[in-house]
Amino acid sequence: MSVAEARDVCLRVENVGMRFGGLWALDDVSFKVERGTILGLIGPNGSGKTTMMNVISGVYKPTAGSVLFGEKRIADVPTHDVCHLGIARTFQVVKPFASLTVRENVAVGAMYGRLGAKRSGKDAFSRTDELLDFVGLGRVTDRPASDLTIPDRKRLEVAKALALDPELLLLDEVMAGLNHTEVDEALHLLREVNQRGVTLIVVEHLMKAIMSISKHVIVLAEGKKIAEGSPLEVTSSPVVIEAYLGSRFAKRQQEERER
Amino acid sequence: MGLLLFVPGFHNDYINLTFRNILMYAAMSYGWNMIGGYTGYVSFGNVAFFGIGAYCSAVLSRAGVNNLFADVGLALVVCALFAIVVGLPILRLRGHYFGIATLGVALGLTDLANNLDFLGGSGGLNLKQADQAHFYLYYYAMWVVTLVCMVATFFIARSKLGYAFVAIRENEEAAQVLGIAPTRYKVTAWAIGAMMGGAAGAVFAPANGFVDPGTAFALDNNVFPIAMAILGGMGTASGPFIGALLLSGVNEILQQKFLWLHSLFFGAIIVLIVLFLPRGLMYLVGLRGGLRRWFSDLRAFRV
Repeated sequence: MSVAEARDVCLRVENVGMRFGGLWALDDVSFKVERGTILGLIGPNGSGKTTMMNVISGVYKPTAGSVLFGEKRIADVPTHDVCHLGIARTFQVVKPFASLTVRENVAVGAMYGRLGAKRSGKDAFSRTDELLDFVGLGRVTDRPASDLTIPDRKRLEVAKALALDPELLLLDEVMAGLNHTEVDEALHLLREVNQRGVTLIVVEHLMKAIMSISKHVIVLAEGKKIAEGSPLEVTSSPVVIEAYLGSRFAKRQQEERER
Repeated sequence: MGLLLFVPGFHNDYINLTFRNILMYAAMSYGWNMIGGYTGYVSFGNVAFFGIGAYCSAVLSRAGVNNLFADVGLALVVCALFAIVVGLPILRLRGHYFGIATLGVALGLTDLANNLDFLGGSGGLNLKQADQAHFYLYYYAMWVVTLVCMVATFFIARSKLGYAFVAIRENEEAAQVLGIAPTRYKVTAWAIGAMMGGAAGAVFAPANGFVDPGTAFALDNNVFPIAMAILGGMGTASGPFIGALLLSGVNEILQQKFLWLHSLFFGAIIVLIVLFLPRGLMYLVGLRGGLRRWFSDLRAFRV
């Protein structure tokens, strides 16, 4: 591996395994994320996508293998310091601070994130106002977070994560539960975030959404990486079709193609 | 709060004592509010700090130092250190386990005070009091302690520190992902609260003139501040004071009218508050949408 190549890799997942009791939720998964790209991580329910997010964001320590962010092993860093390295995440089940206003929710991130130590409370709030306008929550800043609609809660999750000034942003099913228009808006937002230089890992089981946003996709099934490549390559792979739709469907499709 | 400055003007020992107790409970309630109200970790052992504060003054008095500044100063240092040393292990516990551990701390300290000779054992210690002419000194000292607790709470709640506490209360996992080290901030909140309770104890001891394990670690001193913070509004800067004023007032009246049944009435009132005003009186003040909003919020608390 040359030095130039090493510099371009933002995150390196090496032979990661994660065991819960007798179940390997992740089994020998490896991949790389290049700086400035959008990586799609897809797979059927229970395939280990969220577990992968939790390993990368330091919430779980992997049973085997390691995740390297630059030169740092994530497992060596306490969970609350992972965001100081430059990794931020959203939660699939959104976790707003319900009694705080939308603005305060995001400000907490700006206060304690990567650049938080240098910010006063006031600076944190002005950074927050920028972000709220950017994600489109400018109209509800002083409402309690518990009053928000689902799409707005997802936006709030993204704003909180962005307030940490991340280099790498992990998005865990931010588009689940959104309607068609809302998905389009979310995709537009994610592209804009990416254009600001943030590397994204997008977890989703909406194939369609992933296909339109990322050039490189990884497919997990039952904790194993079963495919990797461009969206087109991946969706035409028989292994992937089998994982999503069952072996009978895959076989039938194979037969149709041969005919 | 300002009005309470004029209480000694009545030159009535009963009124003076009652209001000094209100202030004392308010200060302890502020101490509990920091960890229980803002950080969301319900402690059943904050009386430990009141007791430590009281014993600090008693020990100083026995050593010949009778100075309120020295009393409070020592109490602040000892309580903060004790909170940090005890908090580091037990604040790693989440939720209810922390509450149980704090109960253990308070009971353990009571036993310790009962059995250590230099603390007077179960017989307690006497303190040298100011002469009658300066007796209101203690009232004003308690007033200052309470005011400082209130003002400190107000400013902490609006600082970066306060937001870390509330974030931990609302969702510890999400707070952690936003860069907040939970144990560090929980211990900080507990230590600040400990100093508030300790200061109240440090003023109480010389005012009372006597300290024994029964008064320093009294059950009332543990339960009242919690009930007051809940009544007034947990996690607010005015809640504990308002709660202390109302609950002490109610308690005094009940004691006079129904001496035998007053604890029953008192208990019933606490049950009613928790049922109908789970977020305290300060929540009503900020409530927009009137009765309808109140009912819908109430329903949200039910299963």
